[in-house]
Amino acid sequence: MTYFRKIRPALLVAITAALGLLQPVSGQDDDPEFAALQADAQKSFKEGVGPFVKKYCTQCHGSKRKKSGLNFDAALKNPGNPVYRKHWKQAVASVKAFDMPPDDEDAIPTDGEREQFLEWIAKIKFLSTKDPGPFVIRRLTKVEYGNTLEDLFGVDPKLTADLPDEVFGQGYLNNLSSLQSELFLEIASEVVAQPEVQKMLSREKPAKGADLREEAKKFARSLARKSFRRPVSDADVEVLLQVFDLARKNELDYPGALGLMTKAVLVSPQFLFITPAKEVASDKKIVPLDDFQLASRLSYLMWSTVPDPELMKLAESGKLHEPAVLKSQVQRMIADPRSRALFDGFGAQWLGLNELETKTFDPDKFPQMTSEMRAAMYDEARLFFESIMRENKSVVSFIESDYTFLNGTLAALYGMEKEVSGSEMRRVSLKDRNRGGVLGMPAILAATSFPNRTSPVIRGVWVLEQILGEEVPPAPANVPPLEKQDQKTVANMTLRQRTELHLSNPTCANCHKVLDPIGFGLENFDAIGRWRDQDDTGGAIDAAGELPGGKTFETPRELKAIIAERESELARNLTEKLLAYALCRPLEGYDEIVVDHLMETIAKDDYRMQTVISEIVTSYPFTQRRIKN
Amino acid sequence: MIKNTLIDRRTCLKAAGASLALPLMETMGWAETAKGKEVKPPVRLGFMYMPHGVLQSEFWPTTPEGFLNSPPPALESLRPVLDQCLMMKGISGVPISPFNGAPHALELSTWLTAILPDAPTRNRVNIAISADQIMANYVGGLTSLPSLELATMPQTHKENQEGLHEAYYSHCSYRSPTQAVPAETNPRSVLNRLFGKSDKPGEIVPPDPLDRKMLDLVIGGARDLRKTLPQNDQHKLDEYLDSVRAVERRIASIEMRQKEAALEKAGVRSSKRHAADSPPIEIKIPDGDKRSEYMQVMCDLNVLAFQTDTTRVSTYIGSTPNGVSYPELGFTDAHHSQTHHNHKDEEKMRKVAAITKFNIDQYAYMVNKMSQLREGDGTLLDNCIMMWGSGLEDGAKHSRENLPFIIAGKGGGSINTGRFLDKTKGNQGDLLMTLLACAGVPIDRPIGIGTKEMSEMKG
Repeated sequence: MTYFRKIRPALLVAITAALGLLQPVSGQDDDPEFAALQADAQKSFKEGVGPFVKKYCTQCHGSKRKKSGLNFDAALKNPGNPVYRKHWKQAVASVKAFDMPPDDEDAIPTDGEREQFLEWIAKIKFLSTKDPGPFVIRRLTKVEYGNTLEDLFGVDPKLTADLPDEVFGQGYLNNLSSLQSELFLEIASEVVAQPEVQKMLSREKPAKGADLREEAKKFARSLARKSFRRPVSDADVEVLLQVFDLARKNELDYPGALGLMTKAVLVSPQFLFITPAKEVASDKKIVPLDDFQLASRLSYLMWSTVPDPELMKLAESGKLHEPAVLKSQVQRMIADPRSRALFDGFGAQWLGLNELETKTFDPDKFPQMTSEMRAAMYDEARLFFESIMRENKSVVSFIESDYTFLNGTLAALYGMEKEVSGSEMRRVSLKDRNRGGVLGMPAILAATSFPNRTSPVIRGVWVLEQILGEEVPPAPANVPPLEKQDQKTVANMTLRQRTELHLSNPTCANCHKVLDPIGFGLENFDAIGRWRDQDDTGGAIDAAGELPGGKTFETPRELKAIIAERESELARNLTEKLLAYALCRPLEGYDEIVVDHLMETIAKDDYRMQTVISEIVTSYPFTQRRIKN
Repeated sequence: MIKNTLIDRRTCLKAAGASLALPLMETMGWAETAKGKEVKPPVRLGFMYMPHGVLQSEFWPTTPEGFLNSPPPALESLRPVLDQCLMMKGISGVPISPFNGAPHALELSTWLTAILPDAPTRNRVNIAISADQIMANYVGGLTSLPSLELATMPQTHKENQEGLHEAYYSHCSYRSPTQAVPAETNPRSVLNRLFGKSDKPGEIVPPDPLDRKMLDLVIGGARDLRKTLPQNDQHKLDEYLDSVRAVERRIASIEMRQKEAALEKAGVRSSKRHAADSPPIEIKIPDGDKRSEYMQVMCDLNVLAFQTDTTRVSTYIGSTPNGVSYPELGFTDAHHSQTHHNHKDEEKMRKVAAITKFNIDQYAYMVNKMSQLREGDGTLLDNCIMMWGSGLEDGAKHSRENLPFIIAGKGGGSINTGRFLDKTKGNQGDLLMTLLACAGVPIDRPIGIGTKEMSEMKG
């Protein structure tokens, strides 16, 4: 581990590039290794998974009963179909957690059978066909749109503030209501009316006697090229010239007519969507992204804005798709301050901080939660994320680290107000090793709490799902949550003692024995992330616990150490989440094989953050697309 | 009998033979009565939502007879208009199996669709067109805005219940099975976009006719782009182009209104408005962040949009099922956590009652206001159907047997109000079908689980 840290960045580039070349090209249709894996998967499916599922699952989750909407009879017929990925994931989670089959069933698999099943089912991915997924054109998000306007015209990105926020998730949603669709025209009008743009337009002064239409054509071509992020077709220019003619016919002066043309560019789908440069041969099913599409995909991923001239030049020369070129571009882009967009777009979503700004906190109990405090919390997480990325640290640093970023406001929560004052955020070393890393960070601790108290369960689920990438089965319906407990019996219990009642009910115990200890381990942090030794009831905090595998801990620091040891899981989870974000779609069957390969390279490079990013950017699904089903 | 003179806008354009011809509004929406020239205002339909159900004892009247004189505590603020309200007990929601672990992701998304999301594709939006959008498809072409969607909270809540797409949590309107319609949360932008950037309601900043023609050229230009795209992409592009077309149409409609206003000024009496009709209400955007004031301005915008016939269909998601709290009521506990009172915890039940009353108070603010605005021979409320409700019966049990809802307004005489029907038999789909029928929308197929129209509602 330490060996790699000493390597200078330049050398690192060479190593990463070399590793990229060494990466096996398995997964190809004609690849014998992949074919063998596929045959093996088919065999273990037929002999292992199929009989297990028929014996233990389909009675309730088959064509007849379909409990929870799960029909394994259908999934068994076509196990590799991505539609059933969720089925298998859920089966794995429930069987692993001893949640399924339910205890009152007649047939219960032995521990050995469970293990065997999980081993077999892990091979299902090899049943999928090689497929990069579609690259469905999507409208720029609100943030991307604002940044693009700023980069192209120098206007304030806040002009897009009225657009609705997108619903991020497994599938990303950016529809508009009829009221909102008008916003694009309105924003375009405002952009053109900005002094910066008016100035630019009035600088366009054709020589006396020049053919104004010809001059406008030149203007249109250059504006469209920049804005559409690809070479412009004659048809593109022709439409803009028609707009110019329309303006002239209506007696707009020359800059006014250019203004209307600019407005037309800004409401064009070629501007609002990332569109391909040219039509592709229609006989193919899977094609590489053209270099211009790739430039946009990369730029909107890393910077949430339009590709800069260097990326456009590389696209033009047809070199951008070369893995070595892509990787060096990733490094250049990470070093650029605009890469904070990766935190705002991805990091904040991953860590669950999108609602921190508006989340309600009990104003009497937590008067500290001012907008300054919330902003400082968010910035701490952002600067920390950026430092791991820019300094190319291992992703394990997200869990264990000896520094953070504070200002005076936030330092109060750390009890460090003597050391840090003023409003500016700065890097601070931490002596208290209970802190450091996202698990001891106020933003995350506050985002995973209720308005007036902590929630060990939410924190536990958060660590399992967001950090370790585990699937937590949903709580069974009709189970009373904590609030529903008989108030008299619980009156004198600490939150931990109350939460531990989960363990007295076997239905709850299977999952809660995994989730709750993690949450208890963080109980020393209150609902806004301050250290405490007693909980709200006055009882002493007991942060000790045991995780599956017999690992025990007494403090948040020891809990962090146990989680940090699971570096390959941490890295895989982050890689999967970032890949899904980069592709704007949930991961499906074949993607798992892609991630397996990425993880080999990433592990060899000590789970470094830049390697995670460049492996994703050069991956098969990022650089290719399926154009036919 | 009302002579229905609704004409599809497209038919009108075709008849005129030119894309720029502007049909006259009075031939299209404001129906004439059979006898003579008297103008009958159109029926408008609005929905307002609160999640997590209600406390039965606080919400339902004890007897049909006592409804008007001794309403239950939650309905106190509706007292002045109770004779213009209708309550019905016995409307059941959509059974949510196989999504038993997702009561909250489904309470809002099934509310106006009366159907469950498609199970195999649950991680995408795939449900059904919602009742409000069915109406928007039918009458939306007659107003400058096909439908209005409002919400108090941003619709970005993230939580996976049963692997369902996040959007199900916070959206009630679906333009098509796969397109959730987002709601506007900022009252200032609603005001600006509905009525122009001016604080004087009804006054519109003139749209630029050049913009309309420019948009036309842009849409034409996109045809070449469309050809280069695979099929999936073409759908995405079409969705966008449809929305641009809608903008084009809206500009045309505003232009037409201005012409009409000019005629009115010149002494030609508008066919649409009676001289005695109330002037458009004033909108004041509050400075602070008090939830009641915020919700009231959203209600005002809804009233103004209906009063000026800017749209005839609206939804207002007063709050979404994602842990909203009401500091104004003196506590910050999230709504959801309080609903799990197990019918024992009196403190929590008291808070649930307060939250429910708070939400109904805002709705009452809106319908009371509508009842005071003169329109035609009666009031604005007489010509509206305003439904308030929740997608759960009882948040503590997640039950859906007797969905709580209130209907205010006579729907232009189509609804018989002032009654509490305590033994209704029907489901959410039946209710939506009947509401649409009362609003004059012909139903050519059942909505969700609906099977019939409920004649007992009708006037």
